Amino acid sequence: MNTTRRSFLKLMGVSAVGLSLGQLGFDLAEAQAYASKLKIEGAKEVGSVCPFCSVCCQIIAYVRNGKLVSTEGDPDFPVNEGALCAKGAALFSMYTNPHRLTKPLYRAPFSDKWVEKDWDWTLNQIARRVKDTRDKDMVLKNEKGQTVNRVDTLFMMGTSHASNEECAVIHQAIRSLGMVQMDHQARV
Amino acid sequence: MPKAFLVDTTRCTACRGCQLACKEWHDLPANATKQRGSHQNPPDLNPNNLKIVRFNERMTKEGVVVWNFFPDQCRHCITPVCVDVADMAVPGAMIKDKKTGAVLATEKSAKLSPADAKAVAEACPYNIPRIDPKTKRITKCDMCFDRVSAGMQPICVKTCPTGTMVFGEREEVLAVAQKRLAFAKERFPKAHLVDMEDVSVIYLLAEEKEHYYEYAGFM
Repeated sequence: MNTTRRSFLKLMGVSAVGLSLGQLGFDLAEAQAYASKLKIEGAKEVGSVCPFCSVCCQIIAYVRNGKLVSTEGDPDFPVNEGALCAKGAALFSMYTNPHRLTKPLYRAPFSDKWVEKDWDWTLNQIARRVKDTRDKDMVLKNEKGQTVNRVDTLFMMGTSHASNEECAVIHQAIRSLGMVQMDHQARV
Repeated sequence: MPKAFLVDTTRCTACRGCQLACKEWHDLPANATKQRGSHQNPPDLNPNNLKIVRFNERMTKEGVVVWNFFPDQCRHCITPVCVDVADMAVPGAMIKDKKTGAVLATEKSAKLSPADAKAVAEACPYNIPRIDPKTKRITKCDMCFDRVSAGMQPICVKTCPTGTMVFGEREEVLAVAQKRLAFAKERFPKAHLVDMEDVSVIYLLAEEKEHYYEYAGFM
């Protein structure tokens, strides 16, 4: 049969919608208490990745009219095969959580207050500080006189959510700055 | 064809993915929680938690600590007592869907008097139904009736990362249960299937039900 598991499930969904409620085995009035419509019905499936640990379970985000309506594990992804732990299972709540940060917050040195900043300002600040640190601390030669071209005062924290290709690009960019201290989120 | 679940507790790591996935699918809000010295949190089923993983810790005579996990939910009984009790007061408050075997608390359950609702809850041999103080409805696991009707798995089964939960046609699940039981017995001689003939949610326990939860089994 030339059909993937996902398209099979979709077919199943279509045929179930085609059933009349009477066929479900109880009175229509009683069935009305129960949603006859699936909350993800007609929603677009968008692939995404759980942001928590280094396993990087893939999830399906169900989106309707540009709004996330539900999340669940992606059965087609070989690592998690549709499964999720408690953290991954609660992704939808993370998205709807009123405590979730949606803008960069900045706390100036010696300040005790967080201030909302826009992304342009934030990215410029990061770029400025990387440049200043590099200009100040770049070491061209070590005490033996060998060329080293390194910055010991910057540190790169990588992520297991980046693909092999992304890692290669990130690595080259970081090396070009002279950074040699690197680690990975999966180890912390 | 009636459906059934197998809950093979010998595989459960108590990650509580099922518990959270259930909350998310049913759009249930968070509970205020506090540290009570147990990972079982919230302490009991409630209108916001239709499924919880129960933790039971004890030391054997040999001085070995045993930690048992029990993902508790409605058993969707073959002959549900709750439906019979509810029918005496408000017909249709609790129903059993013939096709899937799901036992459902409907909107009409809000019309049960407080005494009748209490009687329905107390009739349950597994201590499952809870009464929502706001809506007055009886709350409990609905077998993800919307998902199952659409040919999908209940969200707890879909989410389980260890294969503890199996869902499908009853005959098939019973066959898997027997296979898992034979395998579990090699390690746990007292392993058994709980109330298999009477329920749609069959638990495989590694030792006596008392070491899991007071209402883990009925027979």
